[in-house]
Amino acid sequence: MLKYLLSRLLQGVVCIIGASVIIFVASRVSGDVTLLLLPPDATPEQQRIMRHELGLDKPYVVQYLLFAGRAVRGDFGKSYRWQTSALKLVLDRFPATIQLAVCALVFSVVVALFFGVLSAVYQGSWFDSFGKVFALLGQAMPGFWVGLMFILFFAVKLGLLPAFGRGGLKHLILPAVTLGWYSVAAQTRMVRSAMLDVLDSDYIQTARGVGVPRWILIWKYALRNAAIPLVTMLGVYFAAMLGGSFIIETIFAWPGVGRTVVEAIFARDYPVVQAGVLFTSIFFVLSNLLVDLAYGFIDPRIRYVR
Amino acid sequence: MGRLAVYLTRLGAVVLGLFLLTSFMNAEVNAAPKVSGELIIGFGAESNVLDVTKAAAGVDWYYDQQFYEMLIQADPKLERKNWLAESWTLGQEGGNPVIDVKLRKGVKLHNGDTCVAKDWVYCYERMKDPKISKWSHYQAAVDRLEVIDDYHFKIHFKKPDATYIPGGLRLYGISKAYFDKVGDDGVQNHPVGTGPWKFVSRNIKEDLKLEAFDQYWNKTQRPGVKNLTIKVIPEDMTRVAAFKTGEIDWIDAVPPAMITDVKAMKGVQTVSLLSGNNLFLQFNTHMPNSPFKDVRVRLAAAYAIDMDGIIKSVLFGQGERYASVGKGTLGYDPKLKPYEYNPEKAKKLLVQAGYPNGFDIPFYNLITPREPNIKEYGEAVAAYLTAAGIRCKIEGLEYAPWIAMGARQDPPDMDGIVSWMWGHGVVGDPGSPWAGYLHCYKEGTGWGSYSYWCDPEFDKLLEQSQDTMDPVKREVLLKKIGRLKFEKVAGGLDTYRPLVTFAWRTDKVTYTPWPGAYYRELREIGLKKK
Repeated sequence: MLKYLLSRLLQGVVCIIGASVIIFVASRVSGDVTLLLLPPDATPEQQRIMRHELGLDKPYVVQYLLFAGRAVRGDFGKSYRWQTSALKLVLDRFPATIQLAVCALVFSVVVALFFGVLSAVYQGSWFDSFGKVFALLGQAMPGFWVGLMFILFFAVKLGLLPAFGRGGLKHLILPAVTLGWYSVAAQTRMVRSAMLDVLDSDYIQTARGVGVPRWILIWKYALRNAAIPLVTMLGVYFAAMLGGSFIIETIFAWPGVGRTVVEAIFARDYPVVQAGVLFTSIFFVLSNLLVDLAYGFIDPRIRYVR
Repeated sequence: MGRLAVYLTRLGAVVLGLFLLTSFMNAEVNAAPKVSGELIIGFGAESNVLDVTKAAAGVDWYYDQQFYEMLIQADPKLERKNWLAESWTLGQEGGNPVIDVKLRKGVKLHNGDTCVAKDWVYCYERMKDPKISKWSHYQAAVDRLEVIDDYHFKIHFKKPDATYIPGGLRLYGISKAYFDKVGDDGVQNHPVGTGPWKFVSRNIKEDLKLEAFDQYWNKTQRPGVKNLTIKVIPEDMTRVAAFKTGEIDWIDAVPPAMITDVKAMKGVQTVSLLSGNNLFLQFNTHMPNSPFKDVRVRLAAAYAIDMDGIIKSVLFGQGERYASVGKGTLGYDPKLKPYEYNPEKAKKLLVQAGYPNGFDIPFYNLITPREPNIKEYGEAVAAYLTAAGIRCKIEGLEYAPWIAMGARQDPPDMDGIVSWMWGHGVVGDPGSPWAGYLHCYKEGTGWGSYSYWCDPEFDKLLEQSQDTMDPVKREVLLKKIGRLKFEKVAGGLDTYRPLVTFAWRTDKVTYTPWPGAYYRELREIGLKKK
C-alpha cells in the first residue's frame, strides 16, 4: 500500500511539473502582456521598462527556472492586474469553487443514484423513461442557458432563491444544480447499467431467496457493487466540474477560482494563471488518489500491490 | 457709575451669549446633513487597483473615482469646474508654460489629514515614474512642481502639453503621509483620498463597501446615504435579474436588448449617456497595393454603411453617430454631418477608383464585448461593405490578440480593416487619441502607436495642437484637423459613440449622474426620504 501511494505521488509530481511547463510556455507565447497593461499611447520605452520590471525581458528558460524556484516556496509573484499576491488571489477564491463543485457533485451523485437504481429496479416502466429524459435534458442543454433560466424562474418569477452571489445555502442551490446537472445523465446510465448486472447476479438471488428485505437488498447489497464504476469516475467528474465552473461562476457572480483564472488568461496575467492552474493540478492529482483509495474501501477485493 | 458698570457687564454677557449661540447655530447649519441607511447597487465590472497612481485601465476608475478627486473635474452639465483647485491660471515663465494652482483650503483626507501642496507634489512624483504609473507619459511635458506654500504650487512645463488642462491637470489628491505609513500594498488594500466615499472593505470579485465621508469638503454635492455596497455582477442578464428581484436597487450597463424591458418596470427610471468611447474603422493605407490608399475607396466605405440602421437594429438605439469629433468634445463642429448611407454612390466611387468588381480584404473584428454588441456591429459593418463590393473576410479576435493586431509595428500586421476604438472621453478631447492613430507612426516616440495613416499635413497640425495650450486657439486647430480628417476619411472611418444606460428604483434611490469614471461616479446617490 505504501509503495502504491509513493508511486502515485511521484507520478503526480511529474504530472504537475509537466503542467507547469505547458502553462508557462502557453502563456508566454500568447503575446506581449505590456500591450494590455499599458494604455494605447504608452511609449516603447515604457513598454521596455515594464517588461524589465516584470522580468519578461529574460530568456524563457531563465524565466521558468526563476518561476519554478519561487513556486516551490509558495511564491507565485504578484498579479499584474490586481497588484496582490497571485497565490493568495487563487487560494482566497478556491474554497468557493470547491464548495460549488462538491455540492454539484453531491447533487449529481444523489440524483444519479436515485434515478439509476429505481430505473433499474423498475426497468421499462414510466419511471425508467422519465429518469432517462430528465438526465438527458441536463446533458443536452448548455449550462449557461440552464443557469439563466433558473435565475429567471426561481429568482425573478417565483422570488424563491437569490439571483446571484455567494452566501448561505439558498445561494448555493441554483449554481450547484446548474453545474451538476450535466453529468447526471452519464452517471445515471452507469448506475442503471451496473444495477441491472448486479441484480441478476447469484448472490443477490441467494439473498432474495433467504428473505432479505427488498430495499436492503437493493440499497445495501446491490448498490455497493453497482457504485464501483461510478466511484471510479467521480474523480473525473469532479475535475470536470472544477474546470467547468468558470461559466457557472460568471452567470451567478460566484467568486470562485475558475472565473479568476479564465479572466487572468484573457488578461495575460501570467502569475495568476500559473498559480491557478498549478494549484488546480495539485488538487486534481490528490483527489484522484483519494478516489482510488476509496475504490479499495468499497471493494475489498482490490489490492494495491504489485 | 457702579450701576452703569453692572448694566454694561450684563449687556456684554448677553451679547456674548447671543454671539456664542448664533455661532453654534451657524455651525449646525453649515455642517453636512447627517445621512443614514444602506444602498446596494450592481456594477458589471470592477477595478483592479485601488491606488489611483497605479490605475491602468478605464475600469480602474470605477472604484477609484469614489475615493479620489482631481484639481479640475466635470460636473453633470459636462462643464469643467475648479474642484480641489480653488483657482488656476496658465502663464509663461522662462519661455515655458506654467500653471499656477491655488488649492481649496481645508480639504480633508479620509485619514483625517488635510490635503496640502506637498501631497500633490508626491502624487506627481509617483505619476511620472514609469515603474509606478502606467500613465507616466502624461507627465512627460512637466519639468517640476514648485511649492509656494501649503495651498499654492506651480506646475512648470519644459514644453507645452495641450492635453494637460483638459485632463483635469492630471493629478489626484492623495496623502503622502499615508503612503509613507502603509506603503503601496497598504494603499491597495485600503485607499485614502479626499472623495465623498470612504473605503470600508472589499472582496475581490464580490463587492466593495463604502461609507459616506462625513468630513467631505463639498457640503452640497455629496452622498445621500451612509453605507453603499457595490456588488460585482459581470453577467448582464444576472445583473438585470438581481435588479428585478430587488436584491440591488441601481445598476449600470443595462444590456441594450433589455432596456425596453427595464424601462417598462414600475417605479424604475433609466438614463442613457455617452460612454466616452469612440468607435471607428481603421484602414491600412500603408501597404503599397492597399486599395485604401485611394480616398475614393475610403469614401466608398463611408457611403456603403447604413450606420443609422446598425445603431437602431443591432445596437438597439444605444449609439450616436459622429463625424471626427462628437458633440461635447473640444473641436466639435456642428456643420460636419456623418456620411449618409448611399450604396449606389459607394459602388460608383469604387468603379472610379479602378475597382469595378470590388476587391477582397481581411476584416479584423473584436469579439470580446468591450462595448455591447460590438461583435455584431462589426459583422453588420462587414456585411454592408461586402454588399457594396468591399468583400470582407471576417476574422474574429479576442481582446488581447486584437490589441496586438492593432499596435503599430514595422512592417504592420494589420493588412486590411480593423474595427477599432479610442475614446475621446466623456468631456472629450481628441488630442491623445489622434496622436495615436492619426499621426504618422514614429518608432520609439509614441506618435502613431496604433496608426495606419501617414500624412505630413496632419502631423504638422497635430503637433501644433499639442503645443497650443490656449483652449480657444486649440479649438480652432482641432476643428481644422477634424474637417480635414472627415473630408479625407483620414485615420479611418468614424462610426459611432456608444451609450451606456443606468437604471434605478425611484421609490428608494435618488441619483444624479456625474460624468467621472464613465458615469460610475456615485457622488450624488442616496436614499429617498420617506
